[in-house]
Amino acid sequence: MKTFPFIYNQPKEFLKFLQPGDWADFLLGEINPRFSVTTVKAKVIAVREETADAKTLVLKPNWLWKGFVSGQHVPVTIEIAGRRVTRFYSLSSFPGEKYLSITVKRQAGGLVSNFINQNIKKGDLLELGEPSGEFVLPKVLPSKILFLAGGSGITPIHSILKQLQANQFKGKVTLLYFVRSYEDIILHSSLEEIVKATGFLEIRYIFSDVPREGFDSGFLTKEILQKYTDDIKSYSVYVCGPGPMQTKALSLLEGNEVKSELFLLPGQSQLKVKKTGTVDVFLSLSHKTIQVKGERSLLEELEDQGIYPPSGCRMGICHTCVCKKSAGSVTDLSKGEVSELGEENIQICISRAESNLELEL
Amino acid sequence: MRTISKKLNNEEIEAFGKEVDSLREEVMSKVGKEDADHIRFIYKAYRYTEVLGRGLIHFSFEPISFVAGTLLLATSKIINNMELGHNVLHGQYDWMNDPRFNSRTFEWDIVCDAHQWKFYHNYMHHTFTNVLNKDHDYGYNFTRLTEGQKWKPVHLTQPFTNLFLAMNFQWGIGAHGFRVEHLEIPKKQRNKRSLKDFKKVFFKKIELQVVKDYLLFPVLAGLNFPKIILGNMIANLIRNLWTYAVIFCGHFTENAESFTTDEIVGETKAQWYLRQLKGSSNLEGSKLFYTMTGHLSHQIEHHMFPGMPAIRYREVAPRLKEICEKYGQHYNTGSFLKQFASVWKRIIAYSFPDSIAGKLMGNRKVYLEPKGMISQPSFQISLPAKEKSVTLT
Repeated sequence: MKTFPFIYNQPKEFLKFLQPGDWADFLLGEINPRFSVTTVKAKVIAVREETADAKTLVLKPNWLWKGFVSGQHVPVTIEIAGRRVTRFYSLSSFPGEKYLSITVKRQAGGLVSNFINQNIKKGDLLELGEPSGEFVLPKVLPSKILFLAGGSGITPIHSILKQLQANQFKGKVTLLYFVRSYEDIILHSSLEEIVKATGFLEIRYIFSDVPREGFDSGFLTKEILQKYTDDIKSYSVYVCGPGPMQTKALSLLEGNEVKSELFLLPGQSQLKVKKTGTVDVFLSLSHKTIQVKGERSLLEELEDQGIYPPSGCRMGICHTCVCKKSAGSVTDLSKGEVSELGEENIQICISRAESNLELEL
Repeated sequence: MRTISKKLNNEEIEAFGKEVDSLREEVMSKVGKEDADHIRFIYKAYRYTEVLGRGLIHFSFEPISFVAGTLLLATSKIINNMELGHNVLHGQYDWMNDPRFNSRTFEWDIVCDAHQWKFYHNYMHHTFTNVLNKDHDYGYNFTRLTEGQKWKPVHLTQPFTNLFLAMNFQWGIGAHGFRVEHLEIPKKQRNKRSLKDFKKVFFKKIELQVVKDYLLFPVLAGLNFPKIILGNMIANLIRNLWTYAVIFCGHFTENAESFTTDEIVGETKAQWYLRQLKGSSNLEGSKLFYTMTGHLSHQIEHHMFPGMPAIRYREVAPRLKEICEKYGQHYNTGSFLKQFASVWKRIIAYSFPDSIAGKLMGNRKVYLEPKGMISQPSFQISLPAKEKSVTLT
């Protein structure tokens, strides 16, 4: 029911128009940049060097942070050259600690991971989103757990191990950590501390690039699995690491209860193709027609042409870039499916143009 | 309309376009943190002036703080409309990926709906700049500014209607928005219903603005409400006069040219650049003045590079001017007073029939660019979106 003076707008629309959130954020931000009523802003209170190419950021979030479960990841937004970019990182701390931490390893050509390693210092501010992810412990803990970690895949596992330590876990945990060399072990001292402080954990480091005396080397194989587990079928297994390792693990562990987490880096989808010719994309809100090749995601191809729709994670998780497609067909890169021709909402960061398109942008 | 620029042949026009393009690319590659910091500073200035302005109006007990508050509120509204709103709505800061500065979500402190404005301004006006019957901003359909528009007795009143428009400028551009959207629908589909729908968008925005300025804030002041209403009215009036003055200087000065729809058929990107140059005019002043005009003081640069963060126009301008000199092209610039006076000269002159207008304007001859100069255009002005359908392969 609209009453005078609300003839055209609902009271809710009036409230939105007055931008109470923006106002509050602005005024609070003037007092302390970490304060906000809409966004979790976190201050970097310490930067720890883990290895030559990995750093841990210790973060102090504001009052909007609602906590997380060990093993979850969180969207982290930082500003690089004036532009806000978002990536997902696993929290490497465990929920009982006073501060949060994320551990970031440099990726070859990775914009954000390199920026964090090079430029982020104590006192900087970054934004966090809502933690999510199913890579967590079940309510009823199994008696035997096997963790398979590869490279920076150790971060959520580290968080889970700390959680198990805090819970005074009585079972048995084996961690097989595949890493390039001894020097590349991330969170090394913290892992050793857990081993020392508790009796449940056994860690085996396996080096893929630089062998070391007294340690195994190579990649994940059936032999290695058998060597460090008594009866593989009795374990609950958690796998986090690069794609090939996960594929291998899943094939070796058929029949087991396996939880796995895989991060695809932006633009890393396997569905990249080479095409001849271009397709027209008509942007109905800005009345522009542009040509794209349809080789990469729409978001990337639009950005190449100086058009910047709002975007976030760039891997189909956060839905910041959702936009209405009025006509044409796209391929969903996460599923590899070709869409219908009609009207639907698409995530342009994981959609590739298949035919001429009309987008509400 | 007479041109005072050198007539260029096809090769010269294309070479001119290439130089302009490379200038654009060079400057755009530098866009980054500086520009982000600038727009955040502007945002801060807008917020602070509004808080202080409204606060002073609210708690003033004597005329001095009331006047100061009103001026601050007017400043806030000017910043919100010009350097912040106009530029953000052009998508100049979309690359920042910040919802506060995104052209899709931004709404401004003015009765004109941002979405309607983007259609008639970003698309119609910026694509068809100064093309009669296509650029609906050319004279806003009631001001006659060139021989190309047929004289009617009603035009005798245009000095007065323009004064009225200046004082109520936000209402003018708001009402312009829904009418242009209506006019751009193919004739067959136009009906009362569609006009009503467009009008409703405008009315929705009016309601929000009016309730905010003339109901919400006055009510908060209790019995002091007349003071708040007066302060808001004066602030809106100052903003209206200022934006009118700046915007009319952009395309309606003495030497700004107009074009016909025939002239732009098959226009190349280089020819488009040239038309933007000939149709626009700049204002000279201090950096503060530039900011308060939203860098529409650099109308020529803005029209050539509407997506470039506005503060960059300052560095682009001298270099663009050099390119124009090299090609013998008139670069229309001058002080605010000189340009505004020439706008009014034009408004008054063309309120009379051509014989008198011609004399007042110095017997200008109609000059038309030769047509069909390039056989294979590399860039084409596209048809209005609503007449266009996407073909599926």
